[in-house]
Amino acid sequence: MMLGAGDGSRRSAAAQFFMDDDDERTNQEKVVKMLNDATVTIDPAVKVQNLERVQYILLKQEPELLDKFIQDVVAFQNDKNGDVRKAVINFIEELVKKDVNLLPKVILNIQTLLQDNAPQVQKRCIQCVTTLYRLGLEWLAKSTSVSEDMSRVWTMLNNMKAYIINMVDSDNNALRTQIIKFVETIVLLQTHPDPDSVKRENDFSLDDVPLTLKVARRRKLEEEALTVFDLMIKFHGSSHISSANLQGCMRSLTTIAKLRPVFMRRVINALETLHLNLPPTLTKTEVSSLRKNLKIQLLGLLRHPSSIEYQHNITTLLTDLGASNSEVNKALPRADEYRKRTKKSAPEEAPASKKSRMEDVSPVAAAIIEPDASAVDITEAFILERLTPELAASLVIAGMARLPDTMPPVFSASYTPIAAAGTEGQIKHVSRLLATQLNAVGLGPGASIAKAKASVPRHAIVDDDDDEDGAVSSEPVATVLDEQGLEDDIIKGYPAKGIKLEISKPLSSDVRENLQTQAILRILNSQESAISGGVSVIRGKILASMAASFGAKVRQTILKFVLKDLRSQMNLALSWMYEEYSFMQGFTKRAPTQVDDQKYYDSNYNILICSFLNTVISNREMKDRDAILSRIVLEMPLVTDDAARILKEFSTTEVLGLDLINKIILNRPPKERMFLQVLLNNTCHQTPEIRETAISHTVDLYLRDDLRPIIEERALGYLNYLKYPRPAMELFGPELGRPFRSETWNDDCTKACLYLYLSLLPLSQELIHGLAVVYVATVPDVKRTILRIVEHPIKAMGMDSPHLLKLVESCPKGSETLVTRLIHILTDKAPPSPELVERVRELYQTRVSDVRFLIPVLNGLTKSEIIAALPKLIKLNPIVVKEVFNRLLGSQAGDNNYASPIAPSELLIALHVIDPAQCELKTVIKATSLCFNDKQAYTQEVLAVVMQQLMEVTPLPTLLMRTVIQALSLYPRLIGFVMNILQRLILKQVWRQKKVWEGFIKCCQRAQPHSFQVLLQLPAQQLKDVFTEAPDLRQPMLDHIMEFTENQRAHIPDSIMDVLNTPATPPPVFTIKDEPVSPPHKIMPSISINIKSEPYDESISSYSQPAPPGLE
Amino acid sequence: MGIQSLNIAVVCSSNMNRSMEAHAFLSKKGFNVKSFGTGDKVKLPGTAVDRPNVYEFTSTYEEIYQDLQNKDRNFYTQNGLLHMLDRNRRIKLRPERFQLSKDKFDVVVTCEERVFDQVLEYFEGRFSEDNAMVHIINIDIQDNHEEATLGAFIICELMTVMANADDLDNDLDTLLATYEHKWNRTLLHSVAFY
Repeated sequence: MMLGAGDGSRRSAAAQFFMDDDDERTNQEKVVKMLNDATVTIDPAVKVQNLERVQYILLKQEPELLDKFIQDVVAFQNDKNGDVRKAVINFIEELVKKDVNLLPKVILNIQTLLQDNAPQVQKRCIQCVTTLYRLGLEWLAKSTSVSEDMSRVWTMLNNMKAYIINMVDSDNNALRTQIIKFVETIVLLQTHPDPDSVKRENDFSLDDVPLTLKVARRRKLEEEALTVFDLMIKFHGSSHISSANLQGCMRSLTTIAKLRPVFMRRVINALETLHLNLPPTLTKTEVSSLRKNLKIQLLGLLRHPSSIEYQHNITTLLTDLGASNSEVNKALPRADEYRKRTKKSAPEEAPASKKSRMEDVSPVAAAIIEPDASAVDITEAFILERLTPELAASLVIAGMARLPDTMPPVFSASYTPIAAAGTEGQIKHVSRLLATQLNAVGLGPGASIAKAKASVPRHAIVDDDDDEDGAVSSEPVATVLDEQGLEDDIIKGYPAKGIKLEISKPLSSDVRENLQTQAILRILNSQESAISGGVSVIRGKILASMAASFGAKVRQTILKFVLKDLRSQMNLALSWMYEEYSFMQGFTKRAPTQVDDQKYYDSNYNILICSFLNTVISNREMKDRDAILSRIVLEMPLVTDDAARILKEFSTTEVLGLDLINKIILNRPPKERMFLQVLLNNTCHQTPEIRETAISHTVDLYLRDDLRPIIEERALGYLNYLKYPRPAMELFGPELGRPFRSETWNDDCTKACLYLYLSLLPLSQELIHGLAVVYVATVPDVKRTILRIVEHPIKAMGMDSPHLLKLVESCPKGSETLVTRLIHILTDKAPPSPELVERVRELYQTRVSDVRFLIPVLNGLTKSEIIAALPKLIKLNPIVVKEVFNRLLGSQAGDNNYASPIAPSELLIALHVIDPAQCELKTVIKATSLCFNDKQAYTQEVLAVVMQQLMEVTPLPTLLMRTVIQALSLYPRLIGFVMNILQRLILKQVWRQKKVWEGFIKCCQRAQPHSFQVLLQLPAQQLKDVFTEAPDLRQPMLDHIMEFTENQRAHIPDSIMDVLNTPATPPPVFTIKDEPVSPPHKIMPSISINIKSEPYDESISSYSQPAPPGLE
Repeated sequence: MGIQSLNIAVVCSSNMNRSMEAHAFLSKKGFNVKSFGTGDKVKLPGTAVDRPNVYEFTSTYEEIYQDLQNKDRNFYTQNGLLHMLDRNRRIKLRPERFQLSKDKFDVVVTCEERVFDQVLEYFEGRFSEDNAMVHIINIDIQDNHEEATLGAFIICELMTVMANADDLDNDLDTLLATYEHKWNRTLLHSVAFY
């Protein structure tokens, strides 16, 4: 056996004394020498001795040398001799006790030693780990921050803990005893003390573990402690336990009960059970040692204040064990304290004190303890009611046949005469004995109630366990009963009744499963009665935990039930989800038998939520489908990858999916990035509803600063795809509604790249610059699409947008068309703002001399600018020109609330005075025709003003006469005014300008007979000219003169008359040409009719086949 | 292994006769041994049955020796008490109470059941510190010179076997059963932790 610590120091002290005498060397030299000697020698005793001396020097005398030599000492852990290795363990233990900060240095060595071949070394090592574990936990709890070293040490300690607990089935008896001690330490360290706990010095408990400690969570530690405690109880109750183990275990249990009274009830139960079911393998002496020990432990418990409620049980047990009344009374707490306590609890004994027990017990522990406790109590009450002397007698008779031939040693050792046979207390005691036995084999009303009620899930957890142990364990129970419990009772005169029942065999697994399923179905179908009974919450909880912790069949049954009507079973579904989640995260511990399948169980949660989602998604007819889905999605504790994938797929097919995704992004921040990507992917979906929903959600999210960069990046990413010669792979795929990749840029895929971007534009206008850059790089098809699609967002931006203005100002090379389009869109419905005009003007003057730029902002320009640009403008495509005029004349602006910078008359005049060198006459004619077409702008008055003003121009504009003719044909009432004009032209000697003169003649031709008066005023030479040009005028005019009075005729100069009377041969071409227009000879139709009948034709023909007079 | 490997405590009621006899014997054999009593007081038989000599555990053997010598030298020489005290004072200064001892042992041997109970009670009342295992073994020895001498032999034999066991903690159960049979004595055994 290893030397105790005290002994070690004692010897070392002696050694040190001896050494001080020995020589004067320094401690360091001594240590070196001793270690060398220890290495060289073959005698293990010398090694051990040297190591002990070194330990003394290093730990007690010269701690500063410690660092230097730790590794040298620890190196002896590989020594062949077990004692030497134990010495090393001893060294490590003392070392860590002295300075826990050294723990990280030696933890690895301890781990190696724990796996030693020699059980003695292992045992010593477990003892050491017991201390180290405690020190380690304290160390963690006290330090302000947890270093990497610390968490590493803690992990290793935990590994060792698991390793040690696993060894509990070791063949070595002593090793098991030591492990029990270790387990006791764990339970004590990892549970909370309560006010009744016996105080001991340096008691470290869960209360001392700070809540903030991340590596060791209080709740986990406590759960572990409870599991381990269960293990202990189980070990304690196992039938082939050795005496030493049992005594150690018993002792540990009472220690726990005293320090952690929460466990009092279970400990006393365990001791009670032990007393009634002593392992059959023990020898007589062992039994008496054990009973002695048990007695002492019980007396100890009796002294403890928390055991008051179990006093009755304990004293009965003690009497059975042969304790005298005085011993018991001595151990009872003082009378006043007793009274104080009993007042609190119910005056009745065991069954009635149930309630007060509950108050004392912490909720975690209570949950575990309760079902078991009440089961025994119920059965006890049940038996007590029925245990009449007659029944007792028949039980004895029935039991006689089963008596063994020889008296078992256990019996003779434990038998004590019954002091108070037949009293009420004794009957009660026997009832309790029977109840405990019955309950142990799961019989009696208490057991069945407990089973039916809360213990169902518990039972289920150990279900697998039963399969293996069932056959084995039922056997010993029966044996024990035969040998001991039964006889005990028989001798006392109260035979056990339920013995025969206990022979029942475990059910076959098929039958059990079947029964299980049926039970589940009953619970499932009891929904309504559960609600009316007010226990629907409990029912839900039961179902959820059963679903989560039972086997596959139960799961399937419940799943089927839930999926059948998910809408009304929503709460159940959710609590099930949470149950699975708790298992997965380890909040709830699996039963030890299921731990191995951890992986399998972890996937349960995932499978569950996926099947929920799939069911709802595939069932389109479901009522309140959206509400159900969003509840599932928002309330499920964790969105797994698979669930995310399902939702993702769903979102590409239905708008509802996108709404869900949006909700997730809004309400589940941890997953928002992931689902945002899903949402973004759908913004280029082919189906408009999905795409638009996705975009509208995205735009909403875009307002959030944290998501903004991601959305923007994606939008620009799509935009940049347009730069590639062919559409990018990313735009295609069945999930986007475009399963096949297109080799060229068609409208669809171009738009797909732009949707998101354009939706963001109004919100984030600086993005517009990107568009310009991309536009330059794209192929023509794409350019066209862009120009077409850009309208709405640009309108939404408005022309005051500084970024638009900036774009116009910078106008990257190649993007002129885009910029023009932008300006067009902007000015389409509203007058250009001064800023815009300024930018465009600047651009026009300095960089791009394309006049088209100006068109949209024409109305913002000054009159002179317009006039200057006019020659260029009218050269453009007829449609564009028309647009220009529309703008200038303001006919397009719906609200007319702005004035064109140039008046219609001014415009027309400007057209007339265009320098022919700058612009072909033909173009100008087309332009003027446009003016005439706009009858709203060019009224009779306006035209009069125009003509009036044109008259003043010198030289006369070439088109003057054409305009006059046009005006006349549009407004016949202007005839008087026109005549006036003609007369004034004569004064201006119109014949000097050939073109105008031709027009003049033409005009006169058209305006006869009114023009005759004018013609008469021409000088003779010119009149002759007229007749040469238009011979058809002569005769009518002559006729006209003939109608004059004599007097009037006298005023006509002779030269004129001569001209009139001299006929001239008209050129045939001319005649033919004018035929359609010239009026019939005979009838003097009013010109007005003639013109009125075809004013349109004329004007149309005038620009469809432009043949202005004098242009041939 | 070997005789030196065990730390032994021998415990009787007053740390006078049985424990001291064994202490003396085992010491001679080379064991690491100490002896203790578990009673409240040191009690020695007096001149009459109802008038025992009672001392505190603080008294030395020398003081008790002198006291008895003064009381009735002849009587106490006759019944052997003075001889016993003389032996005791050569071994150590004064009787020691087990419950007050700070030492830690591998084996505690008690000489009667009542003492065994008291030792168990002692362990029941303290909380373990370094979790070192200790075996408590009871060998009933009547409280007289002859039995004490015989008891010392038995204890010595048992201790020798135990000290030479390969894995004592593991083998003890079997070992005790063997000797129980051999000596036809009941050997109570329990395990506790320091």
